[in-house]
Amino acid sequence: MASFTASSVSFSAVSCSFKQNKVSSLGKGSLSFSGNGSPSRRLPALRFRVSCAAKPETVNKVVDIVRKQLALPADRDVSGESKFATLGADSLDTVEIVMGLEEEFGISVEEESAQSITTVQDAADLIEKLLEKK
Amino acid sequence: MQAPFRLSGMRRGVSKMKLHCFERTFFHSSSSLTPIQLPSPMETHLWYVKPSEVKSGSLLNQYLDILPPCERENVLQMRGEELRKSALLARALVRTTIARYQINSHSNPRSLKFRKNLHGKPEVQWQFRDDQHPPPLHFNISHTTSLVACGVTTNAQIGIDVEEKHRSIKHNILSFARRYFSKHEVQFLAAISDPQVQRMEFIKLWTLKEAYVKALGKGFSGAPFKTFTIRFKGVMEGGFNTLEDLSPKASEIVVDSFDDLADLTSNWQFSLLELANSHYAAICTEKHGAGSDEGKRNAPGKLTVWKTVPFLEDECVSGTAAVKIICGVQ
Repeated sequence: MASFTASSVSFSAVSCSFKQNKVSSLGKGSLSFSGNGSPSRRLPALRFRVSCAAKPETVNKVVDIVRKQLALPADRDVSGESKFATLGADSLDTVEIVMGLEEEFGISVEEESAQSITTVQDAADLIEKLLEKK
Repeated sequence: MQAPFRLSGMRRGVSKMKLHCFERTFFHSSSSLTPIQLPSPMETHLWYVKPSEVKSGSLLNQYLDILPPCERENVLQMRGEELRKSALLARALVRTTIARYQINSHSNPRSLKFRKNLHGKPEVQWQFRDDQHPPPLHFNISHTTSLVACGVTTNAQIGIDVEEKHRSIKHNILSFARRYFSKHEVQFLAAISDPQVQRMEFIKLWTLKEAYVKALGKGFSGAPFKTFTIRFKGVMEGGFNTLEDLSPKASEIVVDSFDDLADLTSNWQFSLLELANSHYAAICTEKHGAGSDEGKRNAPGKLTVWKTVPFLEDECVSGTAAVKIICGVQ
C-alpha cells in the first residue's frame, strides 16, 4: 500500500487539518497504486479520510464534550468529520468547548489555534499535538 | 392549516417543496422590499427577524430561492430543523436588507455577491464599473436560533452580536472570565454577588467584546479577548459603583486596549440593547471625525431598528418596548 505525504495529494472537502507532514496510514478505502498507472485504478480524490495522530479515545472525548456543550439530542450523529458550525456551535459555544477541552486534557490552547479548529477531528488532532509537546 | 415546513438535509440541489398557496399575493423577490435610504454617517440601522414568527412554507421557499447554490448547500448542511431555519433566515435577511438600499440600482437580493476579507469577515463584493467607487455600505450579521440580526452603516466599520438573555453558560462564570477576559472585566464580574445578575452582565460583556472584534474584522485571534477591556465609563472610575448607578444617560461604553497605539480605541463606539425582551444586542461602530476634538467628545449616534419578515412586513420598532436601550445610543 502506497503511502503519501500531504503535499503530493490535494484535498478539498477533508476534515483532517494537515499540520503534520507525514501521513501514517490511510483510512477508509484502500488505494493500490501500480507503477504503470493502470487506468482501472483511479485515485479517489476527495472523499477518503486520512487518519492522523489522534486516537479514537481522544475523538470520543471531544465528541462527549461537544454533545454536552451543545445539548445535542441523542440521535444527532457526531463524529470526527462533524463541523462545529453545522452542529450549531456559535462563537461562545466554541470558546466553551475549547475551555472544556483544556480542562479535560490539561492543555492550553492559544487563540490562533482555537480559530483554526472547525471539526471534531481538528480539535482531537490539536489536543494530541499539545499533549505531545508536554 | 399547513403542514410544517421541513428543510430536508439534502446535499444536492433543493428538494422539491410543495408551495402552499394562500390568500396573500405571491410576491416576486425584488418588488416587495420597501426601498430605504442609506443611514447617514452617524446613524446605524438594525434589522432583525424572529424565526418563530416565520411559519409560512412559501416564504421560506422564497428565501431559499434567492440564495446561490453554495449558500443553499450551507443552509441544508446544518444539523437540525431549527438550525437550518435560522441559517436560512440569516442569509435571507442579509440579502434582502442590503437589496433595500438599492445601491447602484441593484435591488435584487438574488444578485448580490459576497466574499470574505483576509480574516474571514463577510463583505459585499460589489459589481461596479471602473469609474465608480465601491459603495460605502457596511454590514454585519449575528444570529441565534431565536433571533437573526443585521446591522448597516455608511462609511463605518460595524460589528454586532446578539445572544439570548437567558442563555446558560456551562462553565463557572468567573473561571471563564479569568481564562478569557481581561483583569478589569474579571474584577467587574467578581464584584457582582447575585449569580443571575452576574450571568446577565457576563452575557452583555460577551456580546460587546464580540461586537468589537467583529467590527475590527481581524478575527478572533486578531484581537484576543484578554487584550482589551470593555467597561462602562462612570463605573470603573473612582471605584465600583452599584449597578443602579448605571443609567443609560450617565454612562457610555468604552474599550481600552493593552497593545494599542494611543487613541485608536477611541475610534469605536458601542451600544447595548435589549431586543424583543429576549436578547441582548451589542453594536460596535467606527466613530467619525475621530481625529477632531468634536469627534472624540462622545456624541451618541442614532439607531433605527426594524423588526422584519422579509418580503412580508417591516415594522419600525425604535422607541417601542421591543427595543430597550441599556447604554450608548439615543
